Amino acid sequence: MEGLKDNKIVQAWLVLLLAVLFGGALSGVQMTLGPAIEANKINETRQKVPELLGPSSANGESLDIVSRSVNVDRQGKKVFYSVYEASVNGKPAGWVAKAVGQGYADKIELLLGLDPGLNKITGLFILEQKETPGLGNKIVTPEWRGQFIEKSIQSPLEVVKTGAETPYEINAITGATISSRSVTEIINSAVKDLKKPLSGQTRPLE
Amino acid sequence: MLDVLISLLPVVLMSLYVFRGYAAKQIGICLISCLAAEALFVKIRNKPMSLMDFSALVTAVILAMSLPGTAPWYVGVIASFVAIGIGKIVFGGLGMNIFNPAMVGRAFVMIAFAGTMAASGYERAGSLVDIITQATPMDAFKQSSVVASLPSLLWGLTNGSLGEVSAFSCILGGLYLCIRRTASWEIPAGVVLAVLVIGGIDNLVSPETGWTVFHHLFGGALLFGAFFIATDPVTSPVTVKGKWIFGIGVGALVMVLRLFSGYPEGLMFAVLIMNAVTPLINQRTIPVPFGGV
Amino acid sequence: MADQPTSMERFIQGILPENPVYRQLLGLCPTLAVTNGMKAAITMACAVGFVLLCANVMISLIRNLLKPHLRIVIFTLTIATFVTIADRFLAAYMYEMSKTLGPYIPLIIVNCIIICRCEVCASKQPVITAASDALGQSIGYGLALSSVAAVREILGTGMFFEIRVLPTAWPDWVIMVLPPGAFLTFGLLLGWVNWMTSRYAAKKQVKGSL
Repeated sequence: MEGLKDNKIVQAWLVLLLAVLFGGALSGVQMTLGPAIEANKINETRQKVPELLGPSSANGESLDIVSRSVNVDRQGKKVFYSVYEASVNGKPAGWVAKAVGQGYADKIELLLGLDPGLNKITGLFILEQKETPGLGNKIVTPEWRGQFIEKSIQSPLEVVKTGAETPYEINAITGATISSRSVTEIINSAVKDLKKPLSGQTRPLE
Repeated sequence: MLDVLISLLPVVLMSLYVFRGYAAKQIGICLISCLAAEALFVKIRNKPMSLMDFSALVTAVILAMSLPGTAPWYVGVIASFVAIGIGKIVFGGLGMNIFNPAMVGRAFVMIAFAGTMAASGYERAGSLVDIITQATPMDAFKQSSVVASLPSLLWGLTNGSLGEVSAFSCILGGLYLCIRRTASWEIPAGVVLAVLVIGGIDNLVSPETGWTVFHHLFGGALLFGAFFIATDPVTSPVTVKGKWIFGIGVGALVMVLRLFSGYPEGLMFAVLIMNAVTPLINQRTIPVPFGGV
Repeated sequence: MADQPTSMERFIQGILPENPVYRQLLGLCPTLAVTNGMKAAITMACAVGFVLLCANVMISLIRNLLKPHLRIVIFTLTIATFVTIADRFLAAYMYEMSKTLGPYIPLIIVNCIIICRCEVCASKQPVITAASDALGQSIGYGLALSSVAAVREILGTGMFFEIRVLPTAWPDWVIMVLPPGAFLTFGLLLGWVNWMTSRYAAKKQVKGSL
């Protein structure tokens, strides 16, 4: 009896019992809440898709969204893009690509909407950024993002300080030229990378 | 302290000449707010009135000189209250503060109001004062590699913070301070030495930019900071060796920030960082008394 | 046990006299990190309150089975379980908020307030006392978080609970929503609370001597 009482495993019976009980409880929680959490994660970007394709894309009808990842070879480096392909009744409605790049402070992650024919930008949304508050973080404002809508992607976009005139020019945010340039660079390289792989399969559903 | 005010005269006059009403407004705001803040906080702490020791006045003038003339009124007011309150009083008043009060106030508003205090905030298109419509020389160089002419930097015919534009008036006031021994000449000498050496190396590595070592010396807040801000006796080391280390440290940090950071100018951060290590410098450079262990 | 505070006293003590943040200086990491908005601060305080209450009740129920050298293991196990439940719950029903709070919800596991209350109170007191102690401490924690958050959100964005309270001409003090603003606000509030307490104590003493 004495030997049994000194045994470390026996002494820890409460710890072991609680561990089993709590483990069971947690797996129950995970089973009930897991699907909701997964759905939240997927919806986070999917909900943005209609907005990024512009108002005319869906015409009130519901969009079918298929997601896939596109691998691109950029100067010997493999780059991955998550691309959402939207269609209405089998007709292509546009593309939304998630692109990541270096900003002024940290990585900037954005969603870029493109029209089905890959001619112009239909929307831009900044998912993640840590730019300087008050200056660089103005890249998330609709006023600034709105400049990119309807811009042609036939040639790279360029940032100018003020008074953008040509169709390829974007006004920089005052005091945050670097952040403005970073976003534009991310878009330029995403467009360059994705044009080929996407244009080969514009109508995959036919 | 009176000596410091006298030595600041050329800088103040130059800023009034260059920026006209903008400078007068900013100096007025900072003077009134700093004195009000000093009176208020001293009353809260039940201490005898310390307005007459001029320290609040010196802080006010240095703060005003380090702000852009175009900054809105609340920037000067908030900077003054932070400078006196958080920069000085919370540490226990004059002589106890670790950081230069004026620079604490400026750092606060610089981060709080990034839009008005960043390089672009200095420009005001269509202003009656011509200079304010231009970009500051440091920013013009950083953003678009435009090199300002040396004489304009020396006399102060460029845009910038009120007190920093004229290198000549800074040298004039600074020499007075050093001759009167109110400021230790070792600190500005150390700053200038470090800038000459690092700026010289930068020149040799990339001579094509056209921004010479003299641009580094006369441009931005360097001379103003070296003579008036870094020499604050409360927040700089007491030993001769320590003063050299302090000066060289400020100069080296300014150059590192100018060359490698996103900011066009780094004097404020350089002084604040060196303020923080001042106790350490003091501790390490106190000479061992003769016969001591 | 005669001189032990009653459960009501424990409840009141947690709110101000023994406030976990301003008096005990515990749980400062989230106090500084998640207080740039009222919503985040209140959610954080609720999550901590839930974990604290559950852990205190649980520990109090099994207090007679605890072995001295194994008690910390059991505290941690209990706290971790409830933190995970809170974390999953937020991710399922308040996804945006759970992303804002980020790692600070899982980090409640190492929040000193909870293990301190388990050790000081729950492992020695009956369930009712432990529960009222947990509630008092949680309210105190919530008050502390929201006081810091109110100052920071109003000065930093001109808004309160994301509703504009100051005129749009208000220049946002961006520094207040950044980390330096957290340190400054908390330091000044802590100083103010100490100052008020010492003045209150001095007044009380004067009255007592009369």
